[in-house]
Amino acid sequence: MKILVVEDNERVAQFVTKGLREAGHAVDHAATGRDGMFLAASEKYDVIVMDRMLPGGIDGLAIVETLRKTGNKTPILILSALAEVDDRIRGLRAGGDDYLTKPFAFGELAARLDALARRSQGTDPNAALEVADLKMDLLAHRVSRGGTPILLKPREFALLEFMMRHAGQVVTRTMLLEHVWEYHFDPQTNVVDVHISKLRQKIDAGFSPALLQTVRGVGYRLGAE
Amino acid sequence: MIRLLRSVSVRLALGYGAIFILSSFLLVGALWWRTAAYLDREVDAVILADAQAVGDRLHDFGLIGALETVRDRVAAESDEHAIYLLADPGLHALAGNLNAWPAQIAGGPGWYEIGLARNGKLHATRMIYAALPGGYRLLVGRDVQDRVAIRGTILGGLGWAVVIAILLAIGGGLLIRRAVLRQVEAINRATAAIVRGDLARRLPTRDSTDEFDQLSQTINGMLGQIQILIEGVRNASNTVAHDLRTPLAELRNRLEELLRRRPPPEEAWTEVQGAVGDLDRVIGVFNALLRLADIDSGARLSGFRAVRLDTVAGEVAELYGPVAEAKGSDLAFDPPSDAVTVQGDPDLLAQAISNLVDNAVKFTPAGGRVALAVTRDADGGAKVRVTDSGPGIADSEKAEVVRRFYRGDAGKGKSGVGLGLSVVAAVAKLHGGRLEFADGNPGLVATLILPATTAPGALPGPAS
Repeated sequence: MKILVVEDNERVAQFVTKGLREAGHAVDHAATGRDGMFLAASEKYDVIVMDRMLPGGIDGLAIVETLRKTGNKTPILILSALAEVDDRIRGLRAGGDDYLTKPFAFGELAARLDALARRSQGTDPNAALEVADLKMDLLAHRVSRGGTPILLKPREFALLEFMMRHAGQVVTRTMLLEHVWEYHFDPQTNVVDVHISKLRQKIDAGFSPALLQTVRGVGYRLGAE
Repeated sequence: MIRLLRSVSVRLALGYGAIFILSSFLLVGALWWRTAAYLDREVDAVILADAQAVGDRLHDFGLIGALETVRDRVAAESDEHAIYLLADPGLHALAGNLNAWPAQIAGGPGWYEIGLARNGKLHATRMIYAALPGGYRLLVGRDVQDRVAIRGTILGGLGWAVVIAILLAIGGGLLIRRAVLRQVEAINRATAAIVRGDLARRLPTRDSTDEFDQLSQTINGMLGQIQILIEGVRNASNTVAHDLRTPLAELRNRLEELLRRRPPPEEAWTEVQGAVGDLDRVIGVFNALLRLADIDSGARLSGFRAVRLDTVAGEVAELYGPVAEAKGSDLAFDPPSDAVTVQGDPDLLAQAISNLVDNAVKFTPAGGRVALAVTRDADGGAKVRVTDSGPGIADSEKAEVVRRFYRGDAGKGKSGVGLGLSVVAAVAKLHGGRLEFADGNPGLVATLILPATTAPGALPGPAS
């Protein structure tokens, strides 16, 4: 992927660009809002990482708004040290596609960027999903593996649907909480792990290979290795 | 002087005095108009009518008629105060009760007020001098000596009234100023003492309904709230220091030891992994604190909308069902027969219920039972009740558990940062409700009580 990182903090910028480059992405970095605006408008990126507070009092949100007004639809992840929910909503309203607060784990950022770039390729809401021999019929609300029907509760179905839509990508616990449960808080216990292991029992037990992988310290990935 | 005018009490007193004096003047003016001035107007009207009558006779019957009328009027002596004089163009008296044309009336026709010697005394008279056809001159008037005396009496009385009014205004103003000053001074003294640090001090109140007393009571309520907040901050900063310092100290020790020992890479990576875990704990505490601050600030009130409390609770039950199951416990949700809707923030309500259920599941031993129920109250409010079969909370601890970072004996060694119930209490407060604990014998009954649905704008703020 080609990624633009607009971030004025040198350490953070280095951490992000280095990590993304090591993951095989082409990364451009802009340290000011003006450079960021210029690059975003002149180059074609798969996804943009935009810091909210930029030098010179420029709000990253203003850049996002300007880009959207000029018809630029590149997915944008807003990076901010402001955590208030109100702030997150404002970021998304300005045209951001995702919001991540500092400090963040690199795995979380990479997973979210992956999901954003993939989403921009578009997914048919009615298409049947397929990962290896695991099949999901969205219209009939049916799941089967190797021809054997699997009975899922509604939330398990939603969880699996999200995993299948992001097959091959790492999804984090927070992403699952936000998209499957629509919760924007951290439950005190790691409830997502428990739900994943229940789902794993249903779709992996008795089948080979195991499809639902745990990515240590980051999250999960669905797919045959 | 200007400094004095800045004082509310002085301005109040002056305003009171000014209004009192102004209204007194209006009253005196009205009295004057209705009495002394009325008498003057009456006299003028009579004189004018007399003069008119004489003029009419001259016009109708000539000089003879006019002379006759004047003579008749004088002879009739119907009014001892009446004065008549008809004179020829040479100012020689032709008829009337004046011997000669008064020297004071030298100008043209019109009203004159002159002193005339009558019965050996100087009397005030009021006359009209009219020029008649043929150069004849008519003087009609009244001796107003009595009226002048009456007028003087009235004027004197009114003058005294004004003086008394002014004195009353000044006295009343001073009294008002003193009354206001006394109340304000009491508030001033008490608040000054509070500013100096005597936070337990309260304003004196008299349990009356007067505005100053109500103001004092409101201020006292505010002081109580401030005291609670300050104690909260003091408590929080102590516990924040403890709960953040501990993981930070561990992290520092870990890194320092790594530097000192320089272990082989494999072992070093494990240590670094542990360090990241330590940091994540610190970040977790920060996030929880920021969220609490966000809730406490009341900023979330703007996002309030109608929320199906039963649905939110059902989803939380479904979220935690597998967690309880994994522990061998049972989590039961008892949905209400009807929809239970409240005004609120769905995410915060979900977090509050989730924290209550999380605690219940965490503290219930394996094989235990947790029950979640949502009920609609008769008064329109709603309740979320979480019952567990855990160890419960001692009465002495019930008020403490919602304190930030508080860990009960049972909580020692459990995961979490000790902010879960603080968040629930803060969410309850934001929604105008409260969090209550009761004994389940065995176990704990935690109840989140939300008030009857009101318009979002009418909801009390966090500091109410």
